[in-house]
Amino acid sequence: MIRVERINKFYGAVHVLKDVSLTVNKGEVVVIIGPSGSGKSTLLRCMNYLEPFQDGSIFIEGKPIGLIRRGDKVTEMPQAELDKVRSEVGMVFQNFNLFPHRTVLENIIMAPMTVRKTSRQDATALARDLLKKVGLSDKADAYPDNLSGGQKQRVAIARALAMKPKVMLFDEPTSALDPELVGEVLGVMKELAADGMTMVVVTHEMGFAREVADRVVVMDAGRLIEDGPPEKIFSNPDNPRTRLFLSKVLSHEA
Amino acid sequence: MQLDFLVLFEGNNFSALMSGLWVTVTMTFMAMLLSSCIGLVVGLSRMSSNRVLSTLAGCYLAWFRGTPLLVQLMILYYGLAIGMQIDLSASMAGVLGLGMYSGAYVSEIVRGAIQSIDKGQMEAGRSLGMSHWQTMRKVILPQAVRRMLPPLGNEFIALTKNSSLLSVITVSELMRAGNLIVANNFRYFEIYIGIALLYFLVNFTISKVISYFERKLSVEGARA
Ligand SMILES: Nc1ncnc2c1ncn2[C@@H]1O[C@H](COP(=O)(O)OP(=O)(O)OP(=O)(O)O)[C@@H](O)[C@H]1O
Ligand SMILES: [Mg+2]
Repeated sequence: MIRVERINKFYGAVHVLKDVSLTVNKGEVVVIIGPSGSGKSTLLRCMNYLEPFQDGSIFIEGKPIGLIRRGDKVTEMPQAELDKVRSEVGMVFQNFNLFPHRTVLENIIMAPMTVRKTSRQDATALARDLLKKVGLSDKADAYPDNLSGGQKQRVAIARALAMKPKVMLFDEPTSALDPELVGEVLGVMKELAADGMTMVVVTHEMGFAREVADRVVVMDAGRLIEDGPPEKIFSNPDNPRTRLFLSKVLSHEA
Repeated sequence: MQLDFLVLFEGNNFSALMSGLWVTVTMTFMAMLLSSCIGLVVGLSRMSSNRVLSTLAGCYLAWFRGTPLLVQLMILYYGLAIGMQIDLSASMAGVLGLGMYSGAYVSEIVRGAIQSIDKGQMEAGRSLGMSHWQTMRKVILPQAVRRMLPPLGNEFIALTKNSSLLSVITVSELMRAGNLIVANNFRYFEIYIGIALLYFLVNFTISKVISYFERKLSVEGARA
């Protein structure tokens, strides 16, 4: 489904992703954890080439994203092709990034109508279904500014789902929320996982990782240092740095 | 000499001032349209990743912002005619001159407004598979336009005031109409006060129109 092969990413001279490889299978939920600044967001954003990387390759269902190589020449892929691959990868941001000048419904139908040329009628029907799914049927005509954080994030999830993506990427989807609103967003994500959606989630919600993840991967200083089922990672990790990180967040959580 | 504002209505004075006002309004309006188009194109070009485009736009801005409008008008009207046999009519030179000069300032307004939009908006659009241009058109520009309105109001008011310089290149606008009357009756005070009021009226209308659009756009939900 997603294959990340030895990617390297630099911000100027700073090496932020070092030889990172990761495979996510269809229907799998992979949670990425790790200390702040370890490169979790960067890795996630490379997966839809929102962040360009300099070396390595990423494939979405066998199709490369971002860089293409012919022989030993590596070039950036044409924008139109990139847009096409991106339309199959949904992304949910920490700060929601809803379009404030459009209503909830318009937020959701914009991309299907613009990119897929779906008719307004079909797009609207789909949007209403999705709003029902995330429990916000009554908010179709509201503007994002009039929603709570948890509602905004659920709209953002619906907006991404409207493109019928094959994969959903979540970058700390609950970090900007008041504690009492975290549950409603995680609830929607759990349902999505149960429906068989392939998901990659960066989060500090260890409870969610434990309960929903098929695999947990741990990043540290730009490297992927551990990859395994949540039971193993949380109870008996191989890498001492994982142990150190977990002892910090788990003590804090309890 | 007694002050007597009735001179404004003596003989043909009033109708001369009114036709001057009309020329001022129409020329300023056309210059605003030109200035907005130039401003949009130059502003977007300045942000383009295409080096040639952004350099050209940078040069445009530097030149038109860095030289006096009066000099630019002289070059357009007298300079081109005599130096290069390009003979523009006075009003053509006037609209071009005002529009190109003001376009430089508008380009900075456009660029500032677009860059003030959170970059997460572009990322959200792109992550949904929309192209750079689709996102620009449907997401960024509609939000940026609202932020452009207040500085655009200032710029258009400045443009109206600058249009009085067109009197120097023989455009028969309000200032020139006034100058001609004063040359006959020497009623500097009354005539120029009258003209000032007329300019004020135009600019007051502009500021009202701009705040009308500001309100209209914010009712539509763009509080950001
Ligand atoms: N635009 C940028 N320019 C330069 N360096 C950057 C930029 N964005 C991120 N970095 C650096 O890259 C590294 C990885 O950042 P990243 O945001 O991926 O970390 P993260 O694991 O998501 O952290 P957090 O948990 O705080 O979100 C950090 O050291 C950060 O300082
Ligand atoms: Mg991050």
